[in-house]
Amino acid sequence: MPPRLSPLTTGLSAAITHRRLAGVLWLGLVFSALPAWVAFGPLFAPIDQGPFRESLLRGWDSWAFLSFLGVFPRETGIAFAAVGTSLVLSVLLDLLLTTGAVRVLLSGLPRPALRRTVAEGAALFRPVVWAFARYTVSLAFWIGLLVAGPVFLLGKIAGKDAAPNGALATFGLVWAVVASLAVAANVNLRFSLARIALATGQAANARGAYRAAKKVLREARPHAAGLWLFWLVLGLAIQAAFTALGVAMNPATSAGIAALVVVRQLGFWIFAMTRIGYQASLLRFAELKRPLPPLPLAHPFPPAPEEEASTAA
Amino acid sequence: MSSRVLAAAAVLGLFLPVLPAQALPAPRKIVDYDIRATLDDSRRELKGHETLRWTNPSDVPVAELKLHLYWNAFRNNRSTFFRESGGRLRGDQADEAEGFGSIDLTSMTRDGADLLPAARFESPDDGNRDDRTVLSVPLGSPVAPGETIALEIAWTSRIPRVFARAGYVRDFYMFGQWYPKVAVFEPRGRRRRAEPGWNAHQYHANSEFYADWGDYRVALTVPERYVVASAGALVKESREGGRKTLVFEQASVHDFAWSADPRFVVREDLFDPEKDLPAGELARAAKLLGRSEADLRAGFRPVKLRYYMQPDHAGQWTRYADAQKWALAWFGLYAFPYPYAQSSCVDPPEDGTGAMGMEYQTIFTGGTMRALGNWPLNGIREPEMIVIHEFGHGWWYGLVASNEFEESWMDEGINSFTEYEMMDRRYGGIARFPLGARIGSFDLGRIQTIRAREVDRLATPSWGFAPDAYGRNSYARAATAIDQIRRTLGEEAFWRAFRAWAERWRFDHPTTEDFLDAFRPAAEGKLETLFRETWYGNGTTDYAVTRVSSTEARPFEGYDDEGNRVTAPKKASGRKPPPGEKARAAKRYESVALVSRTGTIPLPVTIVLSFENGSTWRTTWDGKAPWLRLRTTYGSRLARAEVDPDRRIVLDANPWNNARYAGEKQGPSAAAKVRAYALHGVQILLSSLWLLR
Repeated sequence: MPPRLSPLTTGLSAAITHRRLAGVLWLGLVFSALPAWVAFGPLFAPIDQGPFRESLLRGWDSWAFLSFLGVFPRETGIAFAAVGTSLVLSVLLDLLLTTGAVRVLLSGLPRPALRRTVAEGAALFRPVVWAFARYTVSLAFWIGLLVAGPVFLLGKIAGKDAAPNGALATFGLVWAVVASLAVAANVNLRFSLARIALATGQAANARGAYRAAKKVLREARPHAAGLWLFWLVLGLAIQAAFTALGVAMNPATSAGIAALVVVRQLGFWIFAMTRIGYQASLLRFAELKRPLPPLPLAHPFPPAPEEEASTAA
Repeated sequence: MSSRVLAAAAVLGLFLPVLPAQALPAPRKIVDYDIRATLDDSRRELKGHETLRWTNPSDVPVAELKLHLYWNAFRNNRSTFFRESGGRLRGDQADEAEGFGSIDLTSMTRDGADLLPAARFESPDDGNRDDRTVLSVPLGSPVAPGETIALEIAWTSRIPRVFARAGYVRDFYMFGQWYPKVAVFEPRGRRRRAEPGWNAHQYHANSEFYADWGDYRVALTVPERYVVASAGALVKESREGGRKTLVFEQASVHDFAWSADPRFVVREDLFDPEKDLPAGELARAAKLLGRSEADLRAGFRPVKLRYYMQPDHAGQWTRYADAQKWALAWFGLYAFPYPYAQSSCVDPPEDGTGAMGMEYQTIFTGGTMRALGNWPLNGIREPEMIVIHEFGHGWWYGLVASNEFEESWMDEGINSFTEYEMMDRRYGGIARFPLGARIGSFDLGRIQTIRAREVDRLATPSWGFAPDAYGRNSYARAATAIDQIRRTLGEEAFWRAFRAWAERWRFDHPTTEDFLDAFRPAAEGKLETLFRETWYGNGTTDYAVTRVSSTEARPFEGYDDEGNRVTAPKKASGRKPPPGEKARAAKRYESVALVSRTGTIPLPVTIVLSFENGSTWRTTWDGKAPWLRLRTTYGSRLARAEVDPDRRIVLDANPWNNARYAGEKQGPSAAAKVRAYALHGVQILLSSLWLLR
């Protein structure tokens, strides 16, 4: 990474240049959604044989939606179980692939993106899972301490007979939002920087990685939080834009449905680019705070011909 | 003539209007209340005195009076109300530490004679000896037909902590069913009654309304800091010693409620028919009802609207007002105009949800939450729905005064039907979400109906339903059944009968049969099974297309009528037929569709056969047989058969089996589209987790 760039610029640059890497994350998203996709097949099959086919091709149908839930509750339940499976799969895949992506970003060797990302992520999977476990405990702890606890205390101070939505309750609500964001930012940054510490070899296990992350965050927490917030807002904006676009498309032809899928997947891919950008920003941020050691790749694949050329150049 | 004969003659004259064949111009006034009540908020106590004047409406002497002491429903956990509700109602739990309340008579006299010693509690509905909500009071001497007596009654009430309709939470008070109230003595013929007698019911978990009309004058004394919302109009206000006394009057009602809270933010508005009656709706109603717009406009009058808002909901009063003005317009067009000069809406606090969504005459409670005032939750139209529903009760328990105890569907069911109609027409349903999705009110009612496991007769006393069956049957299923009447009769016939029924029974007490009678002339017998199986039975219905096939018709083969052997022409391969021969050789297809009905409610239904060449064939089936086979030979293959394409069978238990395709689907796949959107939803969920770590 060029040393002159700021973390934000580095992230934006990486988001655009490492499109293949974003594609790998997108593939992970697609793969983890497969259980749900498979379950949706038989779940929605009655639509094409039933009375709502035409109306659903036209758009939203309140009665189709409600009666579907009423007539197929068991099938819907099974589909929800599949969505749960997708959720678990997605967490595990994300741990694998994002870690691999960080290693690829560090290596500066973007190809072969998929194989390298999977291989690098697999090498660090175990300590990253431990770090993630610490993340979840940490998240629960800090949310309990800084959000649920104060809100509960405010409720106690207000008393049983306090009017709803009074000054204390309103303050509690604002506090809950702000504190939740602060906790989310802090816990997220600690975990992400710990992953970087693992990826750069600065720590061999989750505990050491978290210690390293703490050092990096020290004195520069607002800067890091700003980075997190930037990428959060950008990500949400992209999600919102593509979701609205997808809904507006409301296709009624096979080609339209295909176009809808393409557009939405494009949206998720762009969204994945923001994740790459965020990780690259954090890498640069960590590098500025603490110069990174040379990176021995876990699985040094032979470089592709054009990479050779670019390396030589 | 003897005085007895004179009295009899007077009674006969009096009772001429008891069984009217025509609509009443005004209610028959049986009762008159003059109430003085003082709120002691430090002791959570209310002391009251009332002069109750009651006229015997029947042609027989009445020796005892039945009084409702409904706050004794909250007296202890042995009351019928507690036993039925288990101390839990509409999601609220009774506070058994400080939640109990009661009403105790301290004196009751008639012409100076003390009536209390002989009074006794009774439980006409369930024989519960611990229930104290109906008091039978021997009157000493019987009340002659047409005679009016005056009772002086004093009482003290401990105010319950609100979890069901009435009571307090902090400084908020809701007073409904709060005074000793005389039950209804039904004369011969009232509600098709053969013999006169008392119609007195205990306070139940799910019902509390049935009373006689009269006039109310109520003086309320409260600490000065309270803002009081009350039924009726404020006619006098005085202050003394840190307390204020407010006098309210309301004529021609059968109920009186009030509320007090120092935090109320009062907003006022006016329903002005000149500008609040939507022109489009007026024109629509005129067309449907076959009346002139001028005729429909005639009964409207301005109505003062007051909203007693919680400070944290104050901004939402416009939502209440919009919904109430719409309701005033709609009811005025499709039922009859609101006859009173004012209406008050109380907005209970969020920790007093038990008081939310309650109906009383000329006053009702709304219900909202702060979160519903902001995007994106403001697309949930619950505040509007509650206003329309509770204000609507002003017609269906108030002005068309059904007996909610015995026929709860007539209050909740008809009211839910009108609520669904108003919500769908005004707001497009109960909820609209940012991305274009919406939930229709009728749709929500239908799904509750077809998912109901505990289907019961609609015409069931409120306390007689199977466990958990009251809500779905009295509200959603009844509303859906009425919608079924509409969809069977058609809009014009239905609304004409509906408005005629409402006008006929305004200020009166109709029964289930009175309601069904209103539609019988237009139905010409088509609806009798629906009435029998729904109002007096637990019938269901489900139409389905169970089989569809379409095969190439085989050419004639065999002996014709002349005895000639005819053989099928052999297919010529590799040769184009000349034009004339091509026409003769055009293929024909034998198509069969089998439509079935399960369940016990046959209804006329439309069936549509759609062919691959785009043509359709539409027919009607009376639905009486268990199944119908449609067979056709046509020059195009049958693509699809559908029963009830216009969605008129709203009681259909499974709409998803209403259509079937003969072969592989043609064209775009809706399943693929829905699947794609569902997948995107899952992907949004999964990828959003990226934002957290």
